[in-house]
Amino acid sequence: MGGKVTCTLGEVKNRADLVIYWGGNPAECHPRHFTKYALMPKGKFVPNGRKDRTMILVDIRETPSAKAADIFLQIKPTKDFEMITVLRAIIKEQPVDPAIVAEIGLSLEQLRDLADRMKKAKFGVMFFGMGLSMTRGKHMNSAALLTLAAELNAFTKFVAMPMRGHGNVTGGDVIMRWMTGYPFGVNLARGYPRFNPGEFSTIDMLIRGDCDAALILGADPGATMPQPAIDHLARVPTITLDPKVTHTSRISRVHITTAVTGISAPGTAYRMDEIPLPLRPALKSPYPTDEEVLRRIRQKIACKPLQLPPTVPMMTDAE
Amino acid sequence: MRGNSILRIVGGRVYDPANGVDGVVRDLCICDGKIVADVEAGRTIDATGMVVFPGGVDVHTHVAGAALNFARAMIPEDHRRNLAFVRDRIRHGGIGGSTPTTYITGYLYAGQGYTTVNEAAVPILTARHTHEELRDTPIIDKSTCVLMANNEIVLDLLEAGEYERAKEVVGWSIWAAKAYGVKAVNPGGVTAWKWGKDVKGFREPVPGYSKVTPADIVSSLAKIVDELRLPHAVHLHCNNLGAPGNVATTLETMKALEGSRAHLAHLQYHAYGGDDWTNFRSESVRIAEEFNRNPNLTTDAGAVLFGNTVTITADGPWQHLLHKLTGRKWGNIDVENETGCGVVPYVYKEKNLVNAVQWAVGLELLLLIDDPWRIYLTTDHPNGAAFWRYPEIIRLLMDLDFRREQIRKLAPAALNRIFLPELNRCYTLYEIAIITSAGPARALGLANKGNLGVGADADVAVFNNDKDAAKMFSYPRYVIKGGEIVIEEGEIRNTVEGKGLLVRPHYDPSVEDFIRPLFEKHYTMSFDNYPVELERVEHAEVRPCN
Repeated sequence: MGGKVTCTLGEVKNRADLVIYWGGNPAECHPRHFTKYALMPKGKFVPNGRKDRTMILVDIRETPSAKAADIFLQIKPTKDFEMITVLRAIIKEQPVDPAIVAEIGLSLEQLRDLADRMKKAKFGVMFFGMGLSMTRGKHMNSAALLTLAAELNAFTKFVAMPMRGHGNVTGGDVIMRWMTGYPFGVNLARGYPRFNPGEFSTIDMLIRGDCDAALILGADPGATMPQPAIDHLARVPTITLDPKVTHTSRISRVHITTAVTGISAPGTAYRMDEIPLPLRPALKSPYPTDEEVLRRIRQKIACKPLQLPPTVPMMTDAE
Repeated sequence: MRGNSILRIVGGRVYDPANGVDGVVRDLCICDGKIVADVEAGRTIDATGMVVFPGGVDVHTHVAGAALNFARAMIPEDHRRNLAFVRDRIRHGGIGGSTPTTYITGYLYAGQGYTTVNEAAVPILTARHTHEELRDTPIIDKSTCVLMANNEIVLDLLEAGEYERAKEVVGWSIWAAKAYGVKAVNPGGVTAWKWGKDVKGFREPVPGYSKVTPADIVSSLAKIVDELRLPHAVHLHCNNLGAPGNVATTLETMKALEGSRAHLAHLQYHAYGGDDWTNFRSESVRIAEEFNRNPNLTTDAGAVLFGNTVTITADGPWQHLLHKLTGRKWGNIDVENETGCGVVPYVYKEKNLVNAVQWAVGLELLLLIDDPWRIYLTTDHPNGAAFWRYPEIIRLLMDLDFRREQIRKLAPAALNRIFLPELNRCYTLYEIAIITSAGPARALGLANKGNLGVGADADVAVFNNDKDAAKMFSYPRYVIKGGEIVIEEGEIRNTVEGKGLLVRPHYDPSVEDFIRPLFEKHYTMSFDNYPVELERVEHAEVRPCN
């Protein structure tokens, strides 16, 4: 399988009567998600707001988000994939192995009840967080959940959406797609884009020591990446563009302070549902914008000889 | 953008249907980005023995925006089996294939002599994204159509019988999206899809409404577009796309459009007979006959070529069905209060009866519709095939022997479901110049495009006069955009920037007081962030409505 069955957040606001959060803690990580989009708002077809919606939380521990849930399903760590697979079987009225159900940490009745609610919903949505997508199984967990959402459309309207964060990470993903065809993990060394997560994704490149310079923009890998990756950043010339001095700045050869996008620099941010929002600066900044710094770096690089053989083919096999 | 080169193209055989010029050897002079009567100095291009066309115009394509970009992420396997483009001093790197990256889209269109395209499906809510992508699409000029036929503010107004106010909302929305025209996709059907349903009958109420029907939406939008005096008619993707027996819906739609202008998009997908997939057959003859009788209509072929592609449409319910039929991966985005979109990768196979019929129907319509000024070459890119395969279709239209050879490859069972083997018409170069350039430019109301007369934009394609039309139209010798040579000897020499074409229809600005509270109630962003600022459109050219 593959693909994604999703919607913009306004569809959730106007229609969703069953809201499931899976492996995420929006009460602390996306504090406006309940009130602006998913739970509290009165919508066109859910006129009573919260009263017209059922919220189910699936997680391995009771986080503050559980207080907002009508039903909290606490499952055993790393059993998300099994739970999704059992749900897919129940929905298709296939037999399930009680031994696997026992591993999940829920009763068969609880799972049947959940499947039943999913099928009976008028408009169901699953929001999934890093508790699903970054734990054992990783993209297989996400794929299973997206497949479950797609399959539920045989019975009712159902969608799924990742709970993305970190500022404008969605914007980066969107632009990479229109520039290179791929969302991340892209290597441009041959003069055209190649995609291979695990080989060309940032952490893997750094740990293997494949790059001999780094430009860090709007991120702080020095605080979040594994130590071997950080060690390599410290080893090579690293340039960091950031409005403030970060952990990464401290291991960089160069730190350039830039204006804060959205406060003193204009632009576009893409929301987690890929809606573009214009940013209008309210204040002036003494610092240049990221865009201006990058443009000036690019101008300087353009003066240097092109790092490609003089007779490159115009086209080549994309593999 | 307007170039400042001075050029004289000498000795070429000129095909300029907008001015009735049919293969006359004459010089073409260019100055300041326009065709002029004569030039004194400048560079001379010797086009002796070559064929000179106005730059191609694509009336219906999907090259930018949220839906296409969603598809790009979904099909890395397609990117890998296609060509990649290597960067150099003047060119960006990127990927070709079914959903070329933005820069490559510009290079590929220009690389086959096309200089203007119409991106046919833009939601207001994500129009900012579409324009950002179009800024990164070089060389070609770009117009867009904004999706209105499932906009719930408009539908609620039509339900309440408030036609006049609906017209104001449409006018406001066109300007908000910085669009050029109005697109209607499966009117009412995408709204129904928000509950997992589709519309049932053309004259039955849309699910969720008690009065308004697809027929009402179609005829109201056509009338609104005419009354707003938009240069391009309502751009309509009819109900029931792709379904066996949809010929009935298409004929009914033509009837509902009497008295208005309309452009029927990708007609191939709407000309099928039969009751189910087992007796699926071509109904191109009935469609073409009715179409020929209705001079208010224009259309584009939406032709299909065999091979791999990805289907992308705002028609959400159809894409769910296609996913169920094929078992291929499925992408879907419902856009709040406005529209939806679905993405399913697809392979058209010669030996598949349904695909064989689809392949034939596209060609049949091009051959049966007698006025080339009213039907244009498209594949509904990327749905029927990628746009860079247009030259293959041109060859099928011009070369009867080649066409017969291809028909022989179909499964014999397909032959009694199609009309193509009986059609002997062959397109002339003059007619090819109409369906690829002069015709679509006229349908879009772009008098300065698809035209080599004095004063027109200097968008010109010069081809070798090759017997193999596919080869001829795949590799132009020269392409001139806005007076600048962009392709020379098959190489990209210059990557000029294109214009963004849009209109500002007349509407009562106070309609904003009506829209704002509804928006604040039903949407999830600030109303002031909704309309796209004009500065966001690169080299914007606001075209007149009259």
